[in-house]
Amino acid sequence: MSIIELEGIYTAYEGDDKPIIRDLTLNIGRGEYVVIGGPNSAGKTTLLESINGLVKITHGRANVCGFDVRRSGHDVRKKVGYVVQNFYFDPFTPFTTQQVVMMGRYGRLGLLKRPLEEDYKAAERAIRLVGIEDLAQKTIGTLSGGQQQKVMIAHNLAKEPEVMLLDEPFSNLDFSAREYLQAILLDLVKGGTPIVIVSHAFDGLPDIRIHLVVMNEGRITKDICCPAQAVEDIVRKSSLKQ
Amino acid sequence: MLEPLIQNNVVCHAVEAMAFASIACSILGVVISRMNLASIGFTMSHAAFAGASIGMFLETNAQMAAIAFSVGVAALIGPISDKAKMAADATLGVLFALCMALAIFLISYMQYLGKGLSASSLLFGDVISLYREEIYALAAVSLLTIIFVLLFYKEICAIMFNMKIAQASGMRVQVVYYILLFIIALSVALCLNIVGGLLIFVWLVTPASIASQFCFDVRSMFIVAPLVALLVSAFGVWAGFEYTLPIAPLVALLLTGTFGLAVMLSTKRKVTTRTH
Ligand SMILES: Nc1ncnc2c1ncn2[C@@H]1O[C@H](COP(=O)(O)OP(=O)(O)O)[C@@H](O)[C@H]1O
Ligand SMILES: [Mg+2]
Repeated sequence: MSIIELEGIYTAYEGDDKPIIRDLTLNIGRGEYVVIGGPNSAGKTTLLESINGLVKITHGRANVCGFDVRRSGHDVRKKVGYVVQNFYFDPFTPFTTQQVVMMGRYGRLGLLKRPLEEDYKAAERAIRLVGIEDLAQKTIGTLSGGQQQKVMIAHNLAKEPEVMLLDEPFSNLDFSAREYLQAILLDLVKGGTPIVIVSHAFDGLPDIRIHLVVMNEGRITKDICCPAQAVEDIVRKSSLKQ
Repeated sequence: MLEPLIQNNVVCHAVEAMAFASIACSILGVVISRMNLASIGFTMSHAAFAGASIGMFLETNAQMAAIAFSVGVAALIGPISDKAKMAADATLGVLFALCMALAIFLISYMQYLGKGLSASSLLFGDVISLYREEIYALAAVSLLTIIFVLLFYKEICAIMFNMKIAQASGMRVQVVYYILLFIIALSVALCLNIVGGLLIFVWLVTPASIASQFCFDVRSMFIVAPLVALLVSAFGVWAGFEYTLPIAPLVALLLTGTFGLAVMLSTKRKVTTRTH
């Protein structure tokens, strides 16, 4: 059973006629470690946002976590973690790390519901897992880029998602933080949660079979399973070909 | 409502009106200033202004027309930005210019026709000659604002933090956002009679800015901003009657003065300079 099933999807940004993603088919099952590679503006971010319904799918079939993305985007997003690529929090953002991580629970809670004991517990667990206990009471705008990245990862871990999407999560992180994050992701995968990660940093991949997807100009040019060591080579070769 | 406390009926109504306007606008202001919605507030206040002039021109209820027009403009902002592929700011600029042009056109034309008497109350507001119904409406809208914030507190916080991240988390932020725009439009239109289209901005922005000088978290901002606005407005109304000064501009000046004072005394500034 696939958790993510995309069949011949086209997606376009609001107000645009030209689709960014064209006729894309992709299946992702439980416990898969998926790496999405490809050159800049290949549509990797757009693919992630099609999976959770933030970008409108205009044609095709998309089923994620048992929901039709085109009809029930909210229900999909409640179950799908998404660490965004670009964010900026100004220094006066009036929310602490703890509050931001807690917000990860809000979607699951739904309108008009207050956080319960279990929600606070989940947020606390996520903070501990990412190792940012010392930042919990600091406002997020005063943290460094790497620290903010960790907070956003904790925000999504607190959600206890059924799928985790990460868009270049390593770009702000130093070497030890990358290793640490890889270990967290590996734990998720071992627990059955598939992760889909857009990345250009292939050296720290865990030593498991990787579901590699290479994109170019809104299409998938390669969709294979391979050992972690082979990823970099395959991505490089398929980028050279174009 | 405050009649037992304040003997003079006119003063009493003025205090009530100012108090309710302060509460509604300053609470909304906390959200507005955090979300970079300042230009939305600005545009809506002028939409209300244009609506009221249309109402006067057609000799119908100016207040209703103001409400209808600013709610209408609020509803247009999102779709226009999407369709025209412009930044929301540019859309607002276009709408703002349209509203101002409409209002000035009609007011000038009414002056030409010799019925432009009450146009100045739209520009400058008038706390003295309010109907009881207007005060009840203001009370209702400030209550509505408080209920809205209490009910959707977690969604509002998430929106104030980051719209995209809030959406990605699966929250129904769009719904809350539209309710927010609706309440802003409603409050702005109702406050038009009191503080006028030119000054309403002070109520929307300044109390929140004062609160942000001292508050580190959103919860306290939602409490401090309306409290400050309430105190300054009440004092302004009293001083206005005592020394026969124009009330709305006086309160606006007092609020701005308080802001200046707040900046000088800001605890936040001290903390940030110390830690850097
Ligand atoms: N908000 C947007 N509106 C319109 N076009 C966009 C938007 N975001 C990205 N695009 C376009 O979509 C294409 C793919 O972008 P993206 O998915 O961000 O690529 P990648 O993440 O692979 O670098 C690019 O050509 C980009 O110009
Ligand atoms: Mg990208």
